[in-house]
Parts: sequence; structure tokens; C-alpha cells
Amino acid sequence: MITRKAPALIQGSALPRRTFLRGLGSAAVGLPFLDAMAPAFAASSVPGTPPVRMAFFYLPNGMIMDAWNPDYEGRLGELPRSLKALEPFKEDVLQLGNLTHNTGRALLDGAGDHGRCSGSYLTGVHVKKSLVEIQNGVSFDQIVAGEIGGRTRFASLELGMDDARQAGDCDSGYSCAYTNNLSWRSGTQPLPPTLDPRVLFERLFGAGQPMTPEQRARQSKYRRSILDFVTEDTRKLESNLGPSDRRKLDEYLSAIREVERQIQRAETDNRQVDPQMDKPYGIPADFGEHFNLMSSMIAIAFQADLTRIVTFLVTREGTSRPYRELGISDGHHPLTHHRNQPELMEKVRKINEYHVQQFAGFVDKMKTAKEGDRSLLDNCMIVYGAGLSDGNAHLHEDLPTIVVGRGGNYFKTGRRIVARRETPMCNLFLTMMDRMGVPMDRFGDSTGRLVGLDLG
Amino acid sequence: MPEPGAAKPPAGAFFDTDFSTMDSVLATALLYGLQGNNDCRVAIISLSRPNLAVAGFADAVERFYHGPAATFSQVPPIGMITEGSPGGTSPAFVALFRKKKPDGAPVYKNEVRTVTETGDPNTLFRNYLEAQNDQNAFFVLGGPATNLAAALEFPGLKDLIAAKVRCLVVAAGAFPAGPVEARVKADIPAARKLFAEWPTPIVASGFEVGAALEFPGASIDKEFAEAAPDNPVADAYRAYQAMPYDAPSWAMAAALYAARPNEGYFQVSGPGKIGVDRDGRTLFTASEKSNHRYLIVDPAQKEKIIRTYVQLASAKPQPPRRFRAAADSVSDPRRTQA
Repeated sequence: MITRKAPALIQGSALPRRTFLRGLGSAAVGLPFLDAMAPAFAASSVPGTPPVRMAFFYLPNGMIMDAWNPDYEGRLGELPRSLKALEPFKEDVLQLGNLTHNTGRALLDGAGDHGRCSGSYLTGVHVKKSLVEIQNGVSFDQIVAGEIGGRTRFASLELGMDDARQAGDCDSGYSCAYTNNLSWRSGTQPLPPTLDPRVLFERLFGAGQPMTPEQRARQSKYRRSILDFVTEDTRKLESNLGPSDRRKLDEYLSAIREVERQIQRAETDNRQVDPQMDKPYGIPADFGEHFNLMSSMIAIAFQADLTRIVTFLVTREGTSRPYRELGISDGHHPLTHHRNQPELMEKVRKINEYHVQQFAGFVDKMKTAKEGDRSLLDNCMIVYGAGLSDGNAHLHEDLPTIVVGRGGNYFKTGRRIVARRETPMCNLFLTMMDRMGVPMDRFGDSTGRLVGLDLG
Repeated sequence: MPEPGAAKPPAGAFFDTDFSTMDSVLATALLYGLQGNNDCRVAIISLSRPNLAVAGFADAVERFYHGPAATFSQVPPIGMITEGSPGGTSPAFVALFRKKKPDGAPVYKNEVRTVTETGDPNTLFRNYLEAQNDQNAFFVLGGPATNLAAALEFPGLKDLIAAKVRCLVVAAGAFPAGPVEARVKADIPAARKLFAEWPTPIVASGFEVGAALEFPGASIDKEFAEAAPDNPVADAYRAYQAMPYDAPSWAMAAALYAARPNEGYFQVSGPGKIGVDRDGRTLFTASEKSNHRYLIVDPAQKEKIIRTYVQLASAKPQPPRRFRAAADSVSDPRRTQA
């Protein structure tokens, strides 16, 4: 049963953008943009124009900046070491310099830069130092979600990989609510990230809610894939598509199937490692595998226009996760307090590099996925960055920030743009809000829009 | 909010100037000397004309006082307006970059090659004022009022100034009456706005103060050279005009009073209101209800003041002391403990 939720801008007999493949049970698989939908790109503000999406990939504990910042401005040449993995995509990258989050600084509140910098990252608010009396602001992704979130199945998605504790002291008197959430619906209500790929998968392709253990057991007993539930719909749809769309649909469904297989594999591996482990079964032990799963689902969610807003707290501020896959058994956070010791700094560089390598895999997927005559990436603004620059000194200026994607053919990418020193990060957010169709005069500590990013 | 009972760190110093005379350069050195004595902490130096060469010089001075271990990110940006006339560039501000060490390496490096290496003055004022305790900062104006008048229009900044700043000391005008003074004349509308709307007490260091207290140029080759053979302030002084010469000290007097208002260096007028006429002449009207005053040179203190000038301005660079109050309160927004 192919269901079509009639959008406002359907023209002619085109396939509606919000078509879902449905089947028995709760399966509901959104579709990527197909040529058959061309005249009717549902809820974007301009008929026929794909919507702009945005995502944030947040990395903790700062970076080693000598391996992050190129020593030039303008057109991107050879990328610095930490960004090397993005070399094939550098024409899609804006590397931004000198953006600052003053609200992450102490401002008389003493120690706790990690708690402050992640708490304020998307809100531009100097958060209250407290373990119980949480005070932040609405994050700008949620302001956008509040305005346009009704146009998609999910107003926004909040993802993470590390820690979802919402209470306790995570940094010098700052509640874990500040370090473990990026998105804030209100000043007191964070939106905790989903960590488990299985839970995310079921949200995306089920009824919007994770299955109960019983439902999950029943499905795994009788069916091997969510796609099995929608076979009939898929066949019907394919019979009405041209060869190009059929190929696109096949690639898209294969990507979903691959994610599903990876989750199943992780669950099997986890059971073998420790049947008693309290970690949810869908969370892979391997960092890269976990990242790949979560980011693959971001790509699918964007491709199917299930949401246009994602925040991804890759790991949390202050995390002491070791990277044994890189031969690094020290914790990430302790390493970043390297006191300029070369061997410790080198380990941090390796971690920074490794994170970007994972991210590059996601960018590749976004670049490969087609949307009309552009790539999916062209219609996105993917911010990858951190709330600290030098983690050793806890600096909140010149924050490592790249924007990947052209935001709907708006950003002139392939360049390094350096703003004036101390330019608020919130200026970038104002520019992004414009691109999302939710313009505001001011946000956080903004002083204006970030200039020089567009084609003009 | 600082925690209850937390001690205040030294006052944050904000110096806005056009570096049109050697006086402003010396005032910068004086402020860093005061910082070395824990009388203040230099927060921001801002430039009221769009001149990258001068900004580069100011930046080199900051780096000198931050010490050889300073990295770029740890030195506060120079604030610089981007509109208006750049004005002239004295050789004093560029000659020093040609100075070489015995091995041929430059003694000073100019790190300000583009406007992106500077900051917007209003953003810097806001960001660095937010890091100050209430009533624990001061501004010194050693140039046209252009930047400070603009600050009054920046969203939220006037209220922040009222909360954080105890005093503005202006090196401009002539008191109680006198001729039109160059720094006021350079931007009369800004000066009128500043005296009319600035939300804290204002003390003026008039033309007559700086003229009466000349900085002794002989100290450049004596005290300055003894403290540090390569000092950008001393090198600029030498290049500014033919040595030897003494320099009036309008901004130095303003900076000294701002950081040490209770030392008795100067007499201070009764309260009143400073206005600016259409020609740029400052007018002081006594009034118990107003909070403007002006400095008066006490001849008995002249020698002490000049000695203090030399001692502070020539002092060897001292890195900012890490302030550790009970609440771990800091006045530098960029640094906190791990």
C-alpha cells in the first residue's frame, strides 16, 4: 500500500515527495528524491527546489590547531593534516577561521570550559554553573525546527555516541546536561541524543517509536529485514518508475539494508562478547562502525526528507574514551592537556585525523546521493567542529569549524574564509537560519551575519 | 556571576586611541607597567582609525609585553575601526619591523597583515567587559571619541559599560577652558555624544596636563635600554622624530590616574558637566549633580609623576599574573584552569 500524504505543492501527476513504502506491521520507509517527483518538491519553500538541510557534527576537547588550520586564505589548496581525508571533497568544503564563542568562556564563573562550551555551542547562551538548576537557552536548531519541522516526519533528530546521562557533575560543577546534549528545546529542557543505532533505525523506518523487545524478537524470528515488509509496495512503485529512478531506488534501499545488516552484526557481536552487557545491543563496540551507522542513517534521513535538522554529538566534552584502534590507550581528554609535549600532541592529532576520516565516509555518501541534477550534499550545510580550539589552554576563539555542502547552491565552497578575530559563531548560525528559511535579526551573541560565504 | 566572597582581580584596562602621537604609545607601555605591578590587567587596546600598519605596531607591542612564550591565540586582538580615514603612518610604526637580530632574523614580527587579524572594537569591548567584575574596569581614551561613541549604540553595550566600568578617563580637551584641542576636533559629533551619554563618571586629562608633564626622552636610552635592549616602544620613540626630545603626556596621565586614582598624583576638580561646542571646544560647567571632573596638575607632584612614568613604562615585561581568588575568578576571558 503506497501511501501518499498530499503535500501543498503537488503539481500535475508527479509522485508526491512524501511518499512512504508501507507494509504489514509498523514499517514506513520514506523515499529519496526521484525524477518522478521532480515537479513537486513537497514542502520546500520554492516549488521544484529541493529543501535545504543542516547538520552539526560536534567533536570534543578541541583540536591540535597546527594540523587543522591552513596557513592561507581563499581557495583551498592542500588541506592540513587533520582534514586530509576530505581532500576528495574539498571543493565542497568551507573552512572558517576566527569564529568565537564568548559565551563558552569563564566570564567570572571559573573552571568548567568543557561544560560551558558544549552547553552554549548551539544556544549562544552563557549557561548557569549548576548541577541541578539548569539554565540555558533554546538552541538555534530547535528554533528552526519549531518553524519548519512540521514539514517532515521528524522535526529534528538528535544523535550521539557517547553518554546520555542527564544528571551529575560532568565538569567542575556543570551538570552533565550541558556536556551530553547539543539541542535545547527550552532553557531547561535539553533533547537527549539517541545513541543506539537500532533505536534510531526503528524510529526512522517504523512507526516513529522504537519497537518493544517483544516486537523486535518477533520481527527477527519471522523477517530478516524491514524491507521485507514493504516488498509489495516496492514492486508496485518500481513498475511505475523509469530506469534511472529504479536504479536510484535500488541503491537507496540497498543502503538501508546495509545499515540494517550492520546493526544485526553489531548485535550478534555484542552478544558474543558479553551476553550480560548492559549497553544496548545495537551499539557497536567499534567507534568507526558506530559512527558509520549513525551517519549513514543521517544520510538516509536527509535523502528521504524525513528531517532537515540533525545534531550529532559524536563524543562528549571531557570524554576519556581511548582509541585503541589507533594504538592510543590514553583517554582523549587527558591527552588534550598535553602541556605542549610533542608525543602527547601527536596522539591528539591522530585522534583528530581519525574523526575526520570517519566524517569523510559520511560526506562521500552525501556526495554520491543524487537529488535532481545536484548531489544531496549540495542541498545541505553540514557543520563539523568543536567548542574549543586549543584544548590544552581551553581557548574559545578560532574554533575549528568547517561547513560542508553548498546549502542549496548558496555557499561558494572550496575556500578558507577567515573572519575578523572574535567574530561570534552565532553570526554563522544567523546565516544558516537564513538558508533554512527562518531569518532572525539576532541570535545569542551575534553581531550580524557572517559575510563572504555566498556566491556574491 | 562570581561566587560570594570571591576577591576581585585587578581592574581590567581598556585603552582606545588613534596612536597619533608618541604619548599614546607610551601610555600603552605605562598600562603594561601597571599590569606588572598588579594595578590593572590590560584587556583591550583599540584603534580609532583604519590603519593596518598602526594596528600591526600595536599588536607587536602587545606581543612584547606578553613575553616570548605567547602564542598568537593568547594575545588579545587589537580592535580597529574599519571606516574613516586611515590618517598618516609615522615611520615610528614601521621602522621597527626592519630591525634585525645578529643572525639576520627580524626582532619584531608584524602579525597584522589583513583586517581579519584585528577585531571589531564593539565586539571586543563586549566580550572582554563580560569577563570583568562589576565596577572593576576602566577605559582610557587617548584619541578621537569615535569608537567609544559607537559603543554606546551597540546593542547591550551601554548597560554593560554602566555595570562593569568604574570610570572613563579622557585625554582630550582643555580645562577649565582653553583652545580647541585636536583629539576633540578630530570627531566633534562623537565627542559630544560621549560626554552627553557615557554612563559612568568621566575624568578629563586636558591639554594643559600633558603639556605640563613631559615624558623625558633621555630615559629611552637609559631605563628602557637597561630593562630590555629590544623594546618596540623605545624603538618607535627613537624613530618618531630626531632624538633627543621630550613628549607631552596626555594619555599617560589619563592611564596613570585611571589605574591609581587614590595615589594623589593629581588634584581633581569638583563635579560638573563637560560639553563640547560646535567648534570642538570643551566647556566645563560645575554641577553637584553631574559626574564629570578634570585633572589638575599639582606642581608638588610633578617630579614624582614623571619618575613614575619612567619606572612603569620602561619596566621589563611581566606576563599577566594568574589570578586565583576563592571562586577561581578571572578577568581574562580567554584563560581558565583545566
